[in-house]
Amino acid sequence: MDFTTMLLQLSTGMLESVKIFFFTLIFSLPLGLLICFGRMSKNSLIRNIVKVYISIMRGTPLMLQLLVVYFGPYYLWGANIGGKRFLAIIIGFSINYAAYYAEIYRSGIESMPVGQYEAARLLGYNKIQTFGRIILPQVIKRILPSVTNEVITLVKDTSLAFALAHMELFSMAKQISAAQTTFMPFVIAGVFYYVFNFVVAILMEKAEKKAAYYR
Amino acid sequence: MNLLEMNHIKKSFDGVSVLKDVSLSVKEGQVLSIIGSSGSGKSTLLRCATMLETIDSGEIIYMGEKAAYTDDKGKCVYAPPRELKKIKNYFGLVFQNFNLFPHYSVIKNITDPLINVQKKDKEEAMEIGRKLLEKMGLPDKENAYPFQLSGGQQQRVSIARALALNPAVLFFDEPTSALDPELTGEILKVIKDLAAEKMTMVIVTHEMSFARDVSDYIIFLDKGVIEEEGTPDEVINNPRNERTRAFLSRFEN
Amino acid sequence: MKKKIFAITLTLALAFGLTACGSGTQQAETTTTAAAERTQLVVGFDAEYPPYGYMDDKGEYTGFDLEMAQAVCDLRGWELVKTPIDWASKDMELDSGAIDCIWNGFTINGREDDYTWSVPYIDNSQVIVTAKDSGISTLADLKGKNVGVQSASAALNVLNGDQSAVKDTFASLTEYGDYNTAFTELQAGAIDAIAMDIGVAQYQISSRGEGYVIIDEILAAEQYGIGFKLGNTELKDQVEESLMQLVANGTYATLAEKYGLTDYIILEAE
Repeated sequence: MDFTTMLLQLSTGMLESVKIFFFTLIFSLPLGLLICFGRMSKNSLIRNIVKVYISIMRGTPLMLQLLVVYFGPYYLWGANIGGKRFLAIIIGFSINYAAYYAEIYRSGIESMPVGQYEAARLLGYNKIQTFGRIILPQVIKRILPSVTNEVITLVKDTSLAFALAHMELFSMAKQISAAQTTFMPFVIAGVFYYVFNFVVAILMEKAEKKAAYYR
Repeated sequence: MNLLEMNHIKKSFDGVSVLKDVSLSVKEGQVLSIIGSSGSGKSTLLRCATMLETIDSGEIIYMGEKAAYTDDKGKCVYAPPRELKKIKNYFGLVFQNFNLFPHYSVIKNITDPLINVQKKDKEEAMEIGRKLLEKMGLPDKENAYPFQLSGGQQQRVSIARALALNPAVLFFDEPTSALDPELTGEILKVIKDLAAEKMTMVIVTHEMSFARDVSDYIIFLDKGVIEEEGTPDEVINNPRNERTRAFLSRFEN
Repeated sequence: MKKKIFAITLTLALAFGLTACGSGTQQAETTTTAAAERTQLVVGFDAEYPPYGYMDDKGEYTGFDLEMAQAVCDLRGWELVKTPIDWASKDMELDSGAIDCIWNGFTINGREDDYTWSVPYIDNSQVIVTAKDSGISTLADLKGKNVGVQSASAALNVLNGDQSAVKDTFASLTEYGDYNTAFTELQAGAIDAIAMDIGVAQYQISSRGEGYVIIDEILAAEQYGIGFKLGNTELKDQVEESLMQLVANGTYATLAEKYGLTDYIILEAE
């Protein structure tokens, strides 16, 4: 296999990794907020269920969760899971990352001074307006550094999709390496991951700068 | 007419009684000051009046409308949400720590509630906002963010924000306590100007000379009980009560 | 292992708030398409297992087994779906119907009762590969040495089974996810020998060049077959029928020659 073909093959793997990355972000960021509300719910039943959920998501390996999401429906209901590999990967990643984001949101929300809520209340904002207009924008600024950490971890975690044999960058590198009996694909994959993360880091830094218009 | 009446207010936190049967009333155009040492319950009284805290028993009446009352069984009942929402429009509050929204510019701090709560259109809101900033002596700070302002300027913005909603009563919770001493003057002047315009105000304060100058009526609160009340001349210049005298003596010299 | 994974799966799934339908899990019907309407054959394979299944220079999946599978599908008018799998999950993939069969240098010996097997089509021995200058030439020489093996592989089964006495003389036995890593470690001197299939061993040695040898004494003689989900004899019979046609028309021998497996094929036309 010549170098160009290898690059091309790895690029298709890279595209898959990027797909996993974006879909996971799109679903896990809002889902995390929903879970965060459950975690902070006044209803103790909801709160405890969410607590257990978060503890399982954070307390077991993501790779194991991917296997459960993919094979679980068959073992539980005998469902046909053929062709749903990518769906399982996105669901698995999303529910896992949502748990982490939920805790990040919670730390941000709980760090908000109570005076902001009281001022909003006195000015007549309802609960939804208070959260959407006053609290959330400030929370986002506060949690951006933690979110950046998770997002960068996600770039690298996409390689765990190999557990379901999805042909993302890492699986692709492994296969080419096996067929060509060379270490080169791993080196290229490493460079790809690094560049990906470099771009992500620049974007997140821009976002942080943009949010720095106030203190 | 009494704009506000609070009758037999009781409030305790975790079994510790903070307000023990406190009653007061505020007439239109009146400036009422509440003084007392920290822990006397004066801030709690203000928070009960602005419904940031719920009372255990008693009665709160704004413009003749009952916001809260105690029923025959001794249970405290608040008005249904819709009425309460209406009643909350009658008053505004200026916080000790300003509590401006840091992510909004000065003008947006003032206009955002007008636009999103009172549903005024943007131009009208801007006009109200600019007028008030002018009045507060901050016409050039419209697009500044709170962190770029001094404490005194921030407090003036927060007064403008409260005034924009056109409340019948304006509450002040120790409005100068978080300020450097040299900045308190500008806030006290703003409040005096408002008093001159016959704005109805209830002020919790530590500034005795200010309270004497600006108030029509003064309440001295001690350990959750009104120990003495009357005109500034009665309470501050000629206190009859031993506790009042002890409290005031700490401010002399 | 299979049971353990299943148990963990269930426990977690329950914890997620799903309701398991008790006995249904064991008796769940097969989800592979019924024979009458079959339009495709989903073959599961380890894409890191040349020459049986791997990625070629153009980035396509190929190999002796995959070409045979393609030929079978051509005969039956099926579409071949090549599904690379994580080898450790092969049983879940097969049980759940995500794949129809495992066709990938799949050793029968030791797994006779776990799958419905086709006739054996490759004679495959488990051998030891070492560096040329290692001084290892018999199984006895492995005493005190560090040996590598692919996890969940036939070679590992042999070492844990019939040849456990040999294993006990090793200084260590390290399991690798794939042979590529094992060879890299052998090259680096981290291990002294690798236990593996002879076909794979020859591919690795020929593509890596000089420096490696297969020692003469073999670990075990074994055979490769196509593994179907236990009880799926219908599909097995269909595939087997076509397989025998390929033997008769010479495709089998031609492909074996192409992949350097001529010495190991065992099927003969009837």
